[in-house]
Amino acid sequence: MADINLQEVHDFMIEIARKVGERITSATPSTGAAGSKKNSVDLVTETDQAVEKILSTSLHEKYPTFSFMGEETYKPGDKLTDAPTFILDPIDGTTNFVHRNPYVAISLGLAINKSPTVGIVYNPFTQTLYSAIKSHGAYLTHFLTPQPQPQKLKLPLHPPTPLTPLSTCLIAIEWGSDRSANDFAVKSRTFTKLAAADGGMVHGLRSLGSAALNMCAVAAGEMDVYWEAGCWAWDVCAGWVVLGEAGGRVVDANPGGWEVGVDGRRYLAVRGGEGQEGVIREFWGLVEGRFEVGG
Amino acid sequence: MLRKIKDDLVDIARAAGEMMLDADPSIDHSDTKKNSSDRVTATDKAVEKMVQDRLTSTYPRFEFLGEETFKLGDKLGNMPTFVCDPIDGTLNFIHGFPNTAVSLALTIHKKPFIGVVYNPFRGDLFAAIKWQGAFLTTATGETRRLPISPVPKPLTSLNDCLVAVEWGPQREGPNWALRTSMSQQLMTSKAAGGAMVHSIRSNGSAALDFCYVAAGWIDVFWEGGCWIWDVCAGWIILEEAGGMVASANPGDWEPTLEGRLYLAVRGAKPAEQKGVVKELWDMMGERKFAY
Repeated sequence: MADINLQEVHDFMIEIARKVGERITSATPSTGAAGSKKNSVDLVTETDQAVEKILSTSLHEKYPTFSFMGEETYKPGDKLTDAPTFILDPIDGTTNFVHRNPYVAISLGLAINKSPTVGIVYNPFTQTLYSAIKSHGAYLTHFLTPQPQPQKLKLPLHPPTPLTPLSTCLIAIEWGSDRSANDFAVKSRTFTKLAAADGGMVHGLRSLGSAALNMCAVAAGEMDVYWEAGCWAWDVCAGWVVLGEAGGRVVDANPGGWEVGVDGRRYLAVRGGEGQEGVIREFWGLVEGRFEVGG
Repeated sequence: MLRKIKDDLVDIARAAGEMMLDADPSIDHSDTKKNSSDRVTATDKAVEKMVQDRLTSTYPRFEFLGEETFKLGDKLGNMPTFVCDPIDGTLNFIHGFPNTAVSLALTIHKKPFIGVVYNPFRGDLFAAIKWQGAFLTTATGETRRLPISPVPKPLTSLNDCLVAVEWGPQREGPNWALRTSMSQQLMTSKAAGGAMVHSIRSNGSAALDFCYVAAGWIDVFWEGGCWIWDVCAGWIILEEAGGMVASANPGDWEPTLEGRLYLAVRGAKPAEQKGVVKELWDMMGERKFAY
């Protein structure tokens, strides 16, 4: 396979994300015509579907030999292969989007040999961009600034402080769209355990509604840990590169799994800093049960 | 007169914002208050001092009630009173997570008349004057009336709602048990006896939660245990955006600013707002917060 020009892929992804951003910010979203997926809270809008079509068409025109995995065109049974694959979520944070809550992002990733290699996470409402290429660092760019040039910052935003003990951590969690059975119970019991006085007594738990932006907040150092199960490769692929290049790492949300694939659907993301392994072990010690999702 | 006071509060809020942006919380050693999750920084105290100094020199006959100078037993009086939270969302501030704000309000006869909430990290400034509407000015300088959607979508039931619930600093005891079990119940499927809300959001700042409900980005905020300075400004911003505030405990439609029990609902038809309040109260059954 010829060497892929990753910088070119990265730059093209940013270009199309910025262009399609306006489509998202000007939409008046409702779930009316598009509806819901597995239950009344797993939402999808016409904008999700339209944006994915625009992005996938542009990517396919420029890179016709690359594979593609997008949220709105995924079919159960589709598998991630070693081939260079664009992994894409047109609107991560659809529930926020439906409520006009501007914490949403376009998440564009490229995986090669199933490993996240290029990642772009772009919030079109705030015009903030997180971007990374493997081995080339991670950056946050603000396009809305009083200066003539966008402001570009290297991640993490501050020299990392030690991670341990877990009780000093701010942790991102999401309740998700699964609302019954084992995995919901694991989440709900673990959230309580993490925060309880007789549990982790962590600084706080934050639920903001976008997996991609959560990964990036952890990369930036604004939060310390993100624990998640049930979301998909397209929610995390791009943020994975950003986090890794900022010194962070991703392990399994279930205790003991030091390795997890981008399509594993169970993730414990931790920022860079001294004590990374220790804080992972401490976290795993508080998980109540095991997730079934991801197999 | 109210407009001039609001303009002064906006100026002061922006000055407070500069202080917050300049601070480096990683070296700004924070002390604990009631426990390790209830923190205060030197910046909290410095901002409150700046706010109090400026307000008492411009409005010497008005009272001042601020988080960092409050003593248990202090009560809100009928006189015009400035109510100040220098940094709402101190934990977020310490971690550099940009959802934190200065909250400034004026009360008269124990009712909020003016509110200003400013998040310098995102550049969002929320402001309202009683009977004159609520507005959001963003980082681009654009000002929009609240709610953001001029014709709010129907608020038919909790099942359609995005609900804000915070975890709070109190992590044991009956209030903690109520909070955690209600979160679960709100999320749980209807088949299993829950409300199946769209989702729960925990942002870490009560003042901003009130403002997000005013904007319509969040439908409902249910909270017990925070304080008058956390909610006073957000309250008038929410009301001026068509929203309402009931008590977090069932049955009380007239909560007080100091009551520490708040159920904030976005603008919608009054029957719809009341419907959603009753639905949440019914889920609580006989249970109540005790603060």
